[in-house]
Amino acid sequence: MKKNSLRSSSGNNIDFWAFILYVFLLTIGFLNIYSVTSDVNQSTFHLSQIASRQLIWICGAGLIILTIIFANVVIIDYFSYYFYGLIIILNIAVLFLGHEVAGAKSWFGFGGFGIQPSEFAKVATAMALAKFLGTYGIKFRGWKNISIALAIFLFPMIIILIQNDTGSALVYLSFFLVVYREGMPGYFLIAAIWLGILGIISIIFQSYNISLGYLHGLFLGLGSILVYFSRKNRQIFLLVLIISIGSSLFSGVVGWAYGKLFKNYQKDRIEIVLGLKEDKRGMGYNLEQSKIAIGAGGLSGRGFTKGTQTKMGFVPEQHTDFIFCTIGEEWGFLGVFVFFSAFVSLMIRLIYLAERQSDSYGRVLGYSACCILFFHFFINIGMTIGLIPVIGIPLPFVSFGGSSLWGFTLLLFTFLRYDQIRKN
Amino acid sequence: MQDLYKNRYSVFIIAIIIVFSIFIVKIGSLQLGDNSYEEKAVNNALNKITLYPARSVIFDRNGKIIVKNYAIYDLYIFPKDFDQINTPFMCSVLEIDTAKFNTLFTDAILRSKKRQKNNAFNKSALFYSNLTIKQYTVIRENLFRLKGLFIEPRSDRSYEIVGGAHALGYLGEASESLLKTDAYYQPGDLVGITGIEKYYELWMRGVKGIKTVWQDRTYKERGLVKDDSFNFPAQSGPNVISTLDIELQKFAELLLSGKRGSVVAIEPNSGEVLAFVNKPDFNPNDLIGQNRGKSFRSMLIDPKKPLYNRAVKGVYPPGSTIKTVLALIGLQEGVIEPSSTYGCSGGYRMGSIVVGCHPHGGPLDVVGSIRISCNSYYCNLFRNIIDNPKYNDVKIGYAQLEKHWRSFGLGSPTGIDLLGESGGNIPTVGQLNRRHGDRWRSSMIVSLGIGQGEILLTPLQLANIAGILANRGYYISPHLVKNIEGVKDADWIRKYRTKHYTTIDKVHFETVVQGMSEVFKPGGTAWGTGITDIEICGKTGTAQNTHGKDHSLFIAFAPKDNPKIAIAVIIENGGFGATYAAPIANLLIERYLNPGKPSSKTAMETRMLTTVLEH
Repeated sequence: MKKNSLRSSSGNNIDFWAFILYVFLLTIGFLNIYSVTSDVNQSTFHLSQIASRQLIWICGAGLIILTIIFANVVIIDYFSYYFYGLIIILNIAVLFLGHEVAGAKSWFGFGGFGIQPSEFAKVATAMALAKFLGTYGIKFRGWKNISIALAIFLFPMIIILIQNDTGSALVYLSFFLVVYREGMPGYFLIAAIWLGILGIISIIFQSYNISLGYLHGLFLGLGSILVYFSRKNRQIFLLVLIISIGSSLFSGVVGWAYGKLFKNYQKDRIEIVLGLKEDKRGMGYNLEQSKIAIGAGGLSGRGFTKGTQTKMGFVPEQHTDFIFCTIGEEWGFLGVFVFFSAFVSLMIRLIYLAERQSDSYGRVLGYSACCILFFHFFINIGMTIGLIPVIGIPLPFVSFGGSSLWGFTLLLFTFLRYDQIRKN
Repeated sequence: MQDLYKNRYSVFIIAIIIVFSIFIVKIGSLQLGDNSYEEKAVNNALNKITLYPARSVIFDRNGKIIVKNYAIYDLYIFPKDFDQINTPFMCSVLEIDTAKFNTLFTDAILRSKKRQKNNAFNKSALFYSNLTIKQYTVIRENLFRLKGLFIEPRSDRSYEIVGGAHALGYLGEASESLLKTDAYYQPGDLVGITGIEKYYELWMRGVKGIKTVWQDRTYKERGLVKDDSFNFPAQSGPNVISTLDIELQKFAELLLSGKRGSVVAIEPNSGEVLAFVNKPDFNPNDLIGQNRGKSFRSMLIDPKKPLYNRAVKGVYPPGSTIKTVLALIGLQEGVIEPSSTYGCSGGYRMGSIVVGCHPHGGPLDVVGSIRISCNSYYCNLFRNIIDNPKYNDVKIGYAQLEKHWRSFGLGSPTGIDLLGESGGNIPTVGQLNRRHGDRWRSSMIVSLGIGQGEILLTPLQLANIAGILANRGYYISPHLVKNIEGVKDADWIRKYRTKHYTTIDKVHFETVVQGMSEVFKPGGTAWGTGITDIEICGKTGTAQNTHGKDHSLFIAFAPKDNPKIAIAVIIENGGFGATYAAPIANLLIERYLNPGKPSSKTAMETRMLTTVLEH
């Protein structure tokens, strides 16, 4: 890259396109937070408390970027495990010392500000995973290595689940995509998708009060027939046996768990998205309002600061998790298209940058950044438009919030910094 | 180090592009494929608040305020947003039980839905109207925690002077049928139910204003919508100047208290109603505020019928008062001359029919017959009118008589600005055919000549006859509103400037008027009830009543020349016209023509004021 950009001591530049897209997304985020927290009849420029705070977070993010760029590069690689360890400790500590926000015990309070250590756990996990898979001679092969790799990202996921922050915890599933790139067999993904479908079917059965016995019967019956025909071939025989018994067991477990473990509001959310429940006033109200907001945008939007749906509070969490509604309402389809294009470009740029790394560490870090962004994007946008259940996770770089902005900035720029000093 | 899985990057690119495409298609269908969302969004964030105008202030003819307004406070609710946790609190403030609360709540939801059908911005609905001062204060103080509730002011009537209840009318909540036919009204709106409040509702209600505000999800106002097409101030109803003389009105009410009957006084040359009294009546103050519904229901079932507007709905045989008209018709038809006489020997006899008369001397001329109210005279005159050889047919003769009667505004409503006015009854030829068979004769209906039988008039029509006599031949439809400020042209203005001439030539009136002026003289039917320095022209009447004692009637106007007031008084079961109706009419005439002066007939005044006939 010969483009002029942030020039550091090593001579190479921070990737220009990734940096520009980052700045662009941050700007979009700030403008929309400004808009959604401004007054309806406000004519002059006036920063709301929320918008001012976001401005402070953005300045903080700038400091983080400068620190990363001027830090000794070796540190990044070297301190990966220590950083991971520290963040894990903080995430455990928050269980005892933190306070609850919206039901999740995941916040440390400092005066008026709060810090959510789980937002930093993603970057720490990415670094630790990169460090492990980047160690010379380690491959994603063999039970021991696979177990360690999985443990690196499933451990923080479990801690965050205990914090009762389901949305943030689910994000760690995106590391499965990272290890897939590093050699995880493809049938893992296929199995995961099959289990997902099976889970949904079980939930549908459960919510319609249809006995899961039909599913068991189907799998075991079909399994028996296939087992009979494949009795000559030992491998297929075993595979069919495992799949049919496994499927039957899994649907049983999901059905039981759904009935016993899920709270009613969680069931409501799932059932509304699956179309099993029509509810425009209760849980479904938020989704309906979110759709109205986006739909009201039309082709070119209702105009900057003119979105009544979002700023009047009809859409919940309008400056955090549902910030996309403001983009949709005020900027319309054209705005959404531009925003999506920027986001997708950043992800694809990250894949490109990850692929040009000469070592596993950089590549894992790059894919981690990309996959985490992708997962957030997928869940966040998907929930605002009603394609998946409402799971509260922020839209990277756009949603209001210091912890998530700093976490993503750290993740992105750690990788960009590593990319900057890559050996060509 | 060899990278065995390099090609897997494409899986990621494909996944990203698939997700991107799905999202774009989904969002495209929301934003481009469905136009209803923008409307839904606007409806969400706007709320139209009705601004209630002050209703017209009503003045009497001398500029005294009779009716004005005071602010009442209504409690409105956003049913969706009300937190049931506040139910017990609201129940205790409004002093209702939970069941009642739930009924009100359900009603509010229905109203809210109804309002949203007309206009989706209307999310709120009236929950409880007419808060008491105490309720208002307590709710106001706690409003911050009573989510979904708010208070809006509105105006209700306040009666500065209690009087003229049946003329002015009262307000009530708009009925279901009115709500259906006129979109202007919303449930809970106060509208005129009777009286001029009803007749001039369109003017008196003023014009509602609209305030459109941005409202967030918690229904907190977030400022006015800065677009003039969304905001209109309320316009107060213009001042209404009624024709009533409230002092006269109150005095008339006082004189009638304890009795059952009506008084209608008219300024003859303008048709303006000076006093309009029915007894029993009601106190308009009982039909305002929180007790409106309760009082109204108890009035409806009250056997005294306080809401009954006798003056325009009650029909009575006019008795001898009709003799004035009959004399005029006789003169007009040339059946008699002013000097014509009919003999009387203590009554009119014809076969089995006997119409009694009081003893009086000698044959009487027209003037004398009115002074004495000779029944024989009018039975003879009546028969001669319809048996007039000129027509040679009793039915043609009668039709001629009927035509004359009807020209006095009898048999059809006078056109006063009140709804539900009765026209009384003037029997038609057809009616007589049905009653007496096709071949009836004048002798069979002779009682009509003395104002008995099928002829029925309202007190207002009687007053109108007095006015016609005063005007010597014409009337303007009586009316209760003199002027509505700012209204220059309206059907009712034209209607109340039109003179209706009777079929009687002006020359004939002086004879009858002369007779009427003599009733107070010795031997006259109202001897002793006259007022010394005022030349009153009157005619007594005693209407037979199958249900009890005769009704006491009197019509009069004064002064004889250039009359200022015409009046009809009817006291049910009051006996002779001279007993109650004449004294009351004369006291009122005196009061009107000599305002502020004590009556010259204090004994008569005291007797009238203290008499109680009502049982």
